Amino acid sequence: MMIGVDVGGTFTDLVAADPLRGLRFVKTPSTPDDPSRGVLDALKLLADELELTLDTLLPGIELFIHGTTVATNILVERRGARLGLITTQGFRDLLELREGARDNRYALRTAPPTPVIPRPLRLEVRERVAPDGTAVLPLDPESLDAAIATLRAAGVDGVVVCFLHAHRRPAHEQAVRAAIAATGWEPFISLGHEILGREGEYDRLSTAVVNGYVGPGLKTYLNRLFGRLTERGITVPVQVMQSNGGVLPVAEAGTRAVGAVTSGPAGGAMAGALYARALGLPQLVTYDTGGTSTDICIIQDGLPVERNRAELAGLRIAAPAIEINPLGIGGGSIARIDAGGMLDIGPMSAGAVPGPACFGKGGTRATLTDANLVLGLISGETFLGGRMRLDVAAARAVITQEIAAPLGIGVDEAAYAIHVLATSRITEGIRLATVRRGMDPRDFALMSFGGAGGLHANAVARELEIPTAIIPAMASVLSALGFLAADVRQDLQQTVNAPIRDLHDGRLAQVFGALEVEGRAALETSRSRGGHAGDIHVRRFADCRYERQVHTIPVPLEPDDTAADLERRFVATYEDLYHHTHPGEPGIVETCRVAVFNTLPKLALPVLDAAPAGGVDCAAARTGERRIFIGAAVMAPVYWFEEIRRGMVIAGPALIDSAATSVLVLPGSTATLDATGSLCLSDAAAPAGERAC
Amino acid sequence: MLNPLTLAVVRHKLKAVTEEMVETMTHTCFSPILNQNQDFSAVLLSSDIQTVSQAERVPIHMGAMPLAVRLMAEAFEDDLADGDILMANDPFWGGSHLPDVTLAMPFFHGGKLRFWVALRAHQGDIGGLSAGGYSAAAREIWHEGLRIPPVKLAARGGVRRDVLRMVASNSRRPEDLEGDLMAQLAAVKAGAARLEELFRRYDAEEIEACVCAVLDGGEAIMRQMLRGCRQGRYEGRSCMEYEPAPGHLLPIPVIVTLEDGRAVVDLTQCPDQVPAFINSPYANTRAAVMVAFLYFSGDEQGLNDGSARAIEIRTRPGSLLDPVLPAPVGACTSSTACALIEAVLQALGGANPERAIGGFARRFRFALAGADRQGRPFIWHYFFNKGGTGGNRDHDGWPNLGGLHNPGGTPSPSIERTEASYPLVVEEYALAPDTGGAGQQRGGLGGLMRLRYDGTTPAVLNASGEGVLVPPFGTGGGADGAGHDYRIAQADSGERRLGVHDSGVVLEPGACLVCTSAGGGGYGVPCSRDRDAVRRDVAFGYVSAAAARAVYGLEDAPEPPDRRDSVHRTA
Repeated sequence: MMIGVDVGGTFTDLVAADPLRGLRFVKTPSTPDDPSRGVLDALKLLADELELTLDTLLPGIELFIHGTTVATNILVERRGARLGLITTQGFRDLLELREGARDNRYALRTAPPTPVIPRPLRLEVRERVAPDGTAVLPLDPESLDAAIATLRAAGVDGVVVCFLHAHRRPAHEQAVRAAIAATGWEPFISLGHEILGREGEYDRLSTAVVNGYVGPGLKTYLNRLFGRLTERGITVPVQVMQSNGGVLPVAEAGTRAVGAVTSGPAGGAMAGALYARALGLPQLVTYDTGGTSTDICIIQDGLPVERNRAELAGLRIAAPAIEINPLGIGGGSIARIDAGGMLDIGPMSAGAVPGPACFGKGGTRATLTDANLVLGLISGETFLGGRMRLDVAAARAVITQEIAAPLGIGVDEAAYAIHVLATSRITEGIRLATVRRGMDPRDFALMSFGGAGGLHANAVARELEIPTAIIPAMASVLSALGFLAADVRQDLQQTVNAPIRDLHDGRLAQVFGALEVEGRAALETSRSRGGHAGDIHVRRFADCRYERQVHTIPVPLEPDDTAADLERRFVATYEDLYHHTHPGEPGIVETCRVAVFNTLPKLALPVLDAAPAGGVDCAAARTGERRIFIGAAVMAPVYWFEEIRRGMVIAGPALIDSAATSVLVLPGSTATLDATGSLCLSDAAAPAGERAC
Repeated sequence: MLNPLTLAVVRHKLKAVTEEMVETMTHTCFSPILNQNQDFSAVLLSSDIQTVSQAERVPIHMGAMPLAVRLMAEAFEDDLADGDILMANDPFWGGSHLPDVTLAMPFFHGGKLRFWVALRAHQGDIGGLSAGGYSAAAREIWHEGLRIPPVKLAARGGVRRDVLRMVASNSRRPEDLEGDLMAQLAAVKAGAARLEELFRRYDAEEIEACVCAVLDGGEAIMRQMLRGCRQGRYEGRSCMEYEPAPGHLLPIPVIVTLEDGRAVVDLTQCPDQVPAFINSPYANTRAAVMVAFLYFSGDEQGLNDGSARAIEIRTRPGSLLDPVLPAPVGACTSSTACALIEAVLQALGGANPERAIGGFARRFRFALAGADRQGRPFIWHYFFNKGGTGGNRDHDGWPNLGGLHNPGGTPSPSIERTEASYPLVVEEYALAPDTGGAGQQRGGLGGLMRLRYDGTTPAVLNASGEGVLVPPFGTGGGADGAGHDYRIAQADSGERRLGVHDSGVVLEPGACLVCTSAGGGGYGVPCSRDRDAVRRDVAFGYVSAAAARAVYGLEDAPEPPDRRDSVHRTA
């Protein structure tokens, strides 16, 4: 059996895939004080469903992949480890100087960022390496010993070591680790060149700092979880989902903690990719609307688009990761009348606490969830499978007071305005994410998941002129599902900084060859720690730019590519993005990168039988009807997602509920089930032989 | 009555149109630098040419666009057709400086002009005395490059190759300029296409009503902010470091009169125009004033021309802030804009001290030309160490952002890349203690960069900018920040301080540049600063113990355990 478990802020989702029992999923509340308890709860629930016990379930697990918000939360809530920095003399302030940039240029009154390592704990030692890797100044043991002693006396949990040009000559950073070890002290150590092996001191420094900041907390958590699972009989190591869409075994995941900061959304993207491959969709855009935000990902040719640099919670993370375009719209997003007298929504969110007014936990602001409840689109009784009763009266009161009264309109109209504005925000967010990649949204398929996505999917697709919106049957646990589509992955890189045309004499092959050897060795290490022995495959990239440019674009390469091939691919990739090229301007390779994969067993999506000829009556899936307001009050039939069969054609207006989400089918649209069991919403007329209900 | 739902959605869509224009520009503009620096801005303007929606990229572009588009529209009043795209850059036709080229397209629906779609981009080279513009040697506008009064770049959808060729021929990089103009063209067309969709979805009159409501909303926000200030007459005064007379300061006096939610900004007291590139054409002056008011209000939703209705600007033709031909204007978007924004912020700070913001470090840069370690020629621009920003009621200023005209615009390059690509060694890059203006909220610290020239032959340094003689101002009893202090140490000639207009300075191999950037201005009297914050500043080395005692009046200022000193001692 293969298990994927995603611990989110509110829920812990588990997906189990088994050749005999098929796909199963369970959802339990998360336990933020000790998230490993929620994982055990979910496993217990699964065992119950399978009529097993934990002790009989766990030994049968062949693959256990875990994603967690532990690292993300530590970062966002700024409650990470107490760190010290050891750096090159003269450069202790790089972290605080950032790179002299910020966004939102009109907001001049915001607080200056507080560096996660305060200045007195940023220590300098005498050493200097030149750009070509020569040690201009040897590492001075006296200042090093003093720095180590100071940090040890200060009681830091972790030490970040980042020297200039250390990617060219790691020896000095390695020597610091040895010197610390020699004292018998065992802090959590992050070496800049190990976390990121390429040029760019701020990228390496900031990424290593994030690693050190979230590392001790993540490691403690993972060890506790693994300990508990081992106690109960699991025999395979826990694999931890990474932001790059790969996994690492628990021991490595703890030391390369920065890799886990967006593991949940990465799982969602991997699931999107799985569906894109299964459904043969060359271009897919996914959006995941949860409580506070919407994450948008682009899947091209069956793989999520990646990026090399991102800002999260105000901190730079420069490790390769799946590109997540966050948008501040979720169920908890606050709607308000702004100073100009107009309705606006987000990015402020009521979060989980106090949450929307209808949660009855003290929320006093009108949120998207309140609006959707007033509109009848979600049901006060079946929200989250009935585990959370919603207070319709409170929702009506807050929307009346905050929105309807100031605008002088009815509460239904006000709620509908909030709903439509949220749809618009999601639509424009998706449009920008595709245009940003040089693409047209109309060339994409759309997939919606997350608890709050399904109510907007139909309208979002219409506005984007995308023919079909897909909502997977397991939309509410999609990240956990995506974990089971991942392989063990190691990323390695080397700075080259040379014109492409100068890379003759097999230099390219030599650089990639060395990286690949290193990557395979790293995978062997993982295996020796109990990892799976699967097939190994490698993806190669060169980060290239034109000579006069600053930023690079990633160019995928084939194994036997020569410098001439690279030049050609760079120009083609650039043209895809920017719609022109610069003949005569030299292309530069800044960095060569490899991603080395150790193939893991994969979950296969179910393939449903084709619909019987003559169609299927929808009545069997129908559970009742609800009064909804979508510009006008209408009675909409309500269906239960899990009871919908292939061949049924559900005509809007209709609602499709499940334990974790609701889907709105608009008038003029129909919902059908595809071969993967996903709902497809489209405006196309029902195929011949099927009849709409 | 206008449906609030339609209003909320249409407003958001109009904003999204400009964002999409920016993305289109990013993905089609040709010169490699432009598509990565994003030195361009997109706006939608109403049929009567008020900015309704804008994608904020470069604040100083924004307030200047309506004037440019208005004059373009007037120039072709009787001769506008669907598919026409107008182009202009002339400071005396509503432009700012010559590299900023604006394209504007009238958008028709139902036979009626409904919107203007416009995009302004800073072009790499538009001719003139020096490559890339910003020539301090310019004494008249014709020295600065090609003036383009309003012309049609496209007529009824067809690009005028003749115009394109003529303009491109006046650039040192004709392919870049042509490519970037075509990208601007693609971006405004993309904007128009998206408007087309909007008009398919919503009734034209309904959209017009939304536009009115959005502008009225902008006006309401600004008036509300102005009413929240003490009404009356307030003065602000900033100075520019004017080149022809070394050490000479050119005052920028501003009088802001607030009455019943309305502001009159009187700039008529400022000096006559000068034969140097710091004159600010009226459109740029208007833009700088608007930026100052928007900074002061801090409400991004107010970013449209409705807010401008509450502000009247008075200038004197022939003056520095409303020059006439032949005034050169190259530095208006940076140096002059900064000085004017500072003066307006000072005046507004008097009207509402709660909202006051201390001064920001100005821009002081230099270029270095020489031969690298292999003897190949190089030119390098100093883009590090931007200096501190001012404090405000709630927070200290930021280190390393600088420049009020565009705070924190483009990230600095990496030190490692710099050292790998140029004959330069960065020996130190750190915060500079005691540079931030003291105050209840301290100004952000300046930085210290120690840079060694490691080339094989002497290099030549040319400086430009401001902020050595005029430090970032303090407000509400806060102290000024320290001004920029750049020094050159050479083995033979000893140490000299670099002036903002120094040019042709020769650096011998081995010469060391020690650049301390300005700190931001402080807010409020220093002795009212939270004592723990002062102690932390001392413990962190942001403020020296001596300054903590002398300036902040901290009795128990500890001697900080300065680790850097201990490292130096072991050296």
